Amino acid sequence: MNELTTALWERRPQQATRIVDAHAHAGPYSVFFIPDPDPAGMIAVMDRCGVAHAMLSSHLAIQLDAAKGNAATAGIVDRAPDRFTGYLTVNPWQDPIAELDRWGGDPRFGGVKLHPDLHDYPLTGARYAPVWEYAELTGRPVLTHTYSGSPYNDLPAVEEVAGRYPRATILAGHSGVTPLGIDESIEVAERHERVILEVCGSYNTGADIARMVRRLGSHRVVYGSDFPFIDLRMSLGRILFSDLTDNDRAAVLGGTITALLGRTGA
Amino acid sequence: MSEGRPVLIDADVMLGRHPRRDVGGGTVTELLAAMDRVGVAEAVVGSMTSWLHDPERGNRELLGLLAGQPRLSPCWVMLPDTCGENGGAAAFAASAVEAGVVAVRAFPRDHGYDLDGLDAAAVLDAVESVRLPLLVDAGQTTWPAVEALTRAHPGLRIVVSGVGYRMLRQISGVLERTGLVSVGLADLSSHRGLEWLAARFGAGRLVFGTGAPYRDPAEAVTRLLWSELGEREVAAVGAGNLRRLLTREAEAA
Repeated sequence: MNELTTALWERRPQQATRIVDAHAHAGPYSVFFIPDPDPAGMIAVMDRCGVAHAMLSSHLAIQLDAAKGNAATAGIVDRAPDRFTGYLTVNPWQDPIAELDRWGGDPRFGGVKLHPDLHDYPLTGARYAPVWEYAELTGRPVLTHTYSGSPYNDLPAVEEVAGRYPRATILAGHSGVTPLGIDESIEVAERHERVILEVCGSYNTGADIARMVRRLGSHRVVYGSDFPFIDLRMSLGRILFSDLTDNDRAAVLGGTITALLGRTGA
Repeated sequence: MSEGRPVLIDADVMLGRHPRRDVGGGTVTELLAAMDRVGVAEAVVGSMTSWLHDPERGNRELLGLLAGQPRLSPCWVMLPDTCGENGGAAAFAASAVEAGVVAVRAFPRDHGYDLDGLDAAAVLDAVESVRLPLLVDAGQTTWPAVEALTRAHPGLRIVVSGVGYRMLRQISGVLERTGLVSVGLADLSSHRGLEWLAARFGAGRLVFGTGAPYRDPAEAVTRLLWSELGEREVAAVGAGNLRRLLTREAEAA
């Protein structure tokens, strides 16, 4: 057992590793019921497990209204700056340049969130061009939803933007989700050094994560949970028990994303 | 297993290879190693062959694979008896009991029948009469079908697993209106959903399971142990509730 699984079996929060969740949201979501979706309920779960920090975009921002939702994200960070950093959500149909202008230099935000599947718009589309230019200019990471086989954000689309904007750091959210998508995401990341794999989703496993680390190194793999969309503990458990060295596990759980953000001054 | 640690009995495990993801060889040895890796003590085990190829063959082979494995108990896959594949509904249930089978699993979507339809009714009657619990994944049926099943077979204990994170509205309605439907922990992944269900319906309605090897068993282990449930609730969800379900004697009223 490692120190984290020891804490788990003793049913106490872990304190061995600074865990940073690189993929979180906040607030209600109309498609299904979420108990306690607000930041207080999220912090309670973080404290239960020993998760120090989470990077989030509000559900309001990704689902309905980027402007109001980004303001909501900023408000959440204001109220708990030690626990949360924001992703600035860009909806390609809702004035991307205005959102980047308003929030792009705001220290409450550490990166950009894209969700092409929700917005029925391809990751490779021209409306996203200001995002990639911003990412190349600032070094701030862009977390995009990915899903193997999607017409909007499958792995070939990630590869295309990574080739077009080689200085942009892209967090491939969910690493393609499916077993095939996970394979494809590893292959894309092998060809593009600024593609980082984020590991939350419904089908990932600890064995997949260990394989990502073997192929790419732990500096290219980051923990995310997607909470409160999905419970934070699902993705966390896979990493806790995965066949990783303590150093690699610590990097995936927080070291890698912290280093990425530090590099940008976010 | 260290003294004082919660005991975990997995209601939701399969042996065998999977055709659409690398789950290893699916052997007993691999299963036991995976259980040891995450601290699962015992498991109720089904067969990929029963699910994805030939239920009769898979059920038969499973008994051989689990012979002499005290930590592993067999779970058979049922079919409707409309084509005579079970050898008769009553004979299927009696054979299961005689062979030491502890639960029956249904795959109505993948095996092409309606769980609450007339075709499956005789087998479900027989399963109910010998007091074997029925296990089914949410993706294999519908919540209205599960509810209809409770009316047609009022003594049947049903565990629905693989509910994901989008189903609390449906789950809540069915748990409210029924008494013998439980929810499995394999991919019970709504944010704080485990705690919400336990607070609303009692921890007695929740049954530990992992969905291994298709799912990583570390998910359900971590979800339960780092839950906000108390020690007694964790003990019930981790093992006690399933043990009760596997007890075939009727409980005193």
